Amino acid sequence: MPADRIPSKESAPDDRSSFMDSARRTTEVEPILTVHPKPGVAKPNPILTMDGLRRSFGGLTAVDIDHLEIERGIVTALIGPNGAGKTTLFNLITGFDRADRGRWEFNGQMVTSPSPDRLARRGMVRTFQLTKSLAKLSVLQNMLLGAPHQIGEQLWAAPFRPLWRNQEQANTERADELLEQFNLAHMRDELAGTLSGGQRKLLEMARALMSDPALVMLDEPMAGVNPALAQSLLGHITELALSGVTVVYIEHDMDVVSGISDWVVVLAQGQVIAEGGPWKVIHDEVVIDAYLGRRRAGTSS
Amino acid sequence: MDFDIIFGNAARAAFGPEAIILALAAIGLNIHFGFTGLLNFGQVGFIMLGAYGTSVAVATFGWSLWVGIPIGLFLALALAVALGIPTLRLHAVMFAIVTIAAAEIIRILIGSTDAIGLTGGPLSVSFDAGAFFDLNPYADGPQDRYGVGTFAFTGQQMWVITVGWLLVALVSFGVFLIIRSPWGRVLKSIREDQDAARSLGKNVFSYKMQALMIGGVIGGMAGVIDAIKTSGADPNGFRPQVTFYTYTALLLGGTATYLGPVLGAILFWFLREWIESFLRQLAAEAWLPGAIADFLEGSEGIISVGMVGLALVLLMLFRPQGITGNRIEMQLDAR
Repeated sequence: MPADRIPSKESAPDDRSSFMDSARRTTEVEPILTVHPKPGVAKPNPILTMDGLRRSFGGLTAVDIDHLEIERGIVTALIGPNGAGKTTLFNLITGFDRADRGRWEFNGQMVTSPSPDRLARRGMVRTFQLTKSLAKLSVLQNMLLGAPHQIGEQLWAAPFRPLWRNQEQANTERADELLEQFNLAHMRDELAGTLSGGQRKLLEMARALMSDPALVMLDEPMAGVNPALAQSLLGHITELALSGVTVVYIEHDMDVVSGISDWVVVLAQGQVIAEGGPWKVIHDEVVIDAYLGRRRAGTSS
Repeated sequence: MDFDIIFGNAARAAFGPEAIILALAAIGLNIHFGFTGLLNFGQVGFIMLGAYGTSVAVATFGWSLWVGIPIGLFLALALAVALGIPTLRLHAVMFAIVTIAAAEIIRILIGSTDAIGLTGGPLSVSFDAGAFFDLNPYADGPQDRYGVGTFAFTGQQMWVITVGWLLVALVSFGVFLIIRSPWGRVLKSIREDQDAARSLGKNVFSYKMQALMIGGVIGGMAGVIDAIKTSGADPNGFRPQVTFYTYTALLLGGTATYLGPVLGAILFWFLREWIESFLRQLAAEAWLPGAIADFLEGSEGIISVGMVGLALVLLMLFRPQGITGNRIEMQLDAR
């Protein structure tokens, strides 16, 4: 059951000071600061609400979430030690895996038959831990694939170029804009397979944005990326949130998390063990224990 | 040894009806395997249904050839749907197994003695393709030949060849139109990574099904040409190796290219016939030891197929992208 919302000022000062520094004070972020940091807490304007979500593999319960809400328009980090169920949770929500039980609501609508493509068309786009840039297509073609509602993608219209030329042109312009923004414009016509690992991450993120999604879910966007590129990736994530897109991302590195997240959800052994503003969570005893692998029962007494 | 005859035979095979049939089969397979990544090992099943659909409609039911042809194509389409619905959601390997098995099942059923009343069973079926040859504009007297020297066709052959290559050109152009479109782009994305396509909102199953149907119908066209050319169909003509010849032609010409399957089919028949004719001529040479001549006599066909297989192995080793393919694109695979 969702806990009641407590507009407590006393829980927030740490979080506030961090946001002052990062210079991203938007009206979007304000309301979340008043939410009491506690697992499963209700949020003012959730885009994603999960209830009783459970997935087990044999005897291992990978995900077991009573209640979790993701606030709209902010950056939420999903952290937790290895094997905590972060990626499994991503797979469940985006329809790439099937939950044993439980239900979730996206953008105010119940997700009844989760299929990845249908969810993507409804505005939930994800990226993958192992980047899925399409190596044999050019960077531009990769981008164009991300565009939604293409007339030319329907077989009856495909042979007749005039039917889809204008739309293709508009999509190309949009793609060029995004490529420029993500510093990939010079690679536009190269095959995506020739990009470096970090550039592929950038491409995958840019491609996800082609559909103007409501929610972007990034699975370890910073993994295996050199520090300079990682910095630029972080910048893009921040910009995304500023433009009104909700971002959820998985990350290991605590420093990264504290820098750009508005809210942090901590998973351990498939359960939400803590959530709250980044500073709050990072200094949370329970979280530290989970990361260091100490038994939770021992410290919570 | 008469190289004129060898060359004439090879050139006739390269531009004759056999190459047309192979080219159409390869164009269809190119949509499955080349552009969508569907591992279809049962392309011969589509050819077979195209050929038998046409033949049985005319021979057994006495319908017009112009009704028989659409029936043949429809059966190929129906096979695509029947194969696709249960298997396209499965792993690529499952699809390969099911397609090769399905094609064999169909061949065995068609060729069984129980089916004699319908398909002619093991006796094969034959019909009168007069409706097609009535339209023949080429004079077809016993003395009429079209071509130069040993590279010449009869009037009837010329008519099949004209219609056949026109069909190949038309189908190739149609494939070009749909593959260069955003629709074709989605196919290529599925070929590389289904999950990526899904995450971008593409209904992968639906696209695969469309590709399977289009490639299947084009395979059916190959069967229709085959039925008209031979005025019938024989179950032994649709063994699994037909699919493998089709793959050879496709790989030879270059997968996922527009002209690759056509070039590959032409080259496949040219090489095969050249080697076979050469061996036949060689066997007749007086200086050859008797034992070798006896061995060559009658086994030219087998040896030439073996040589084509060897050529395919060498091709895969030294030019895996085929004649027209893009080397860089191939190398990206190796990562």
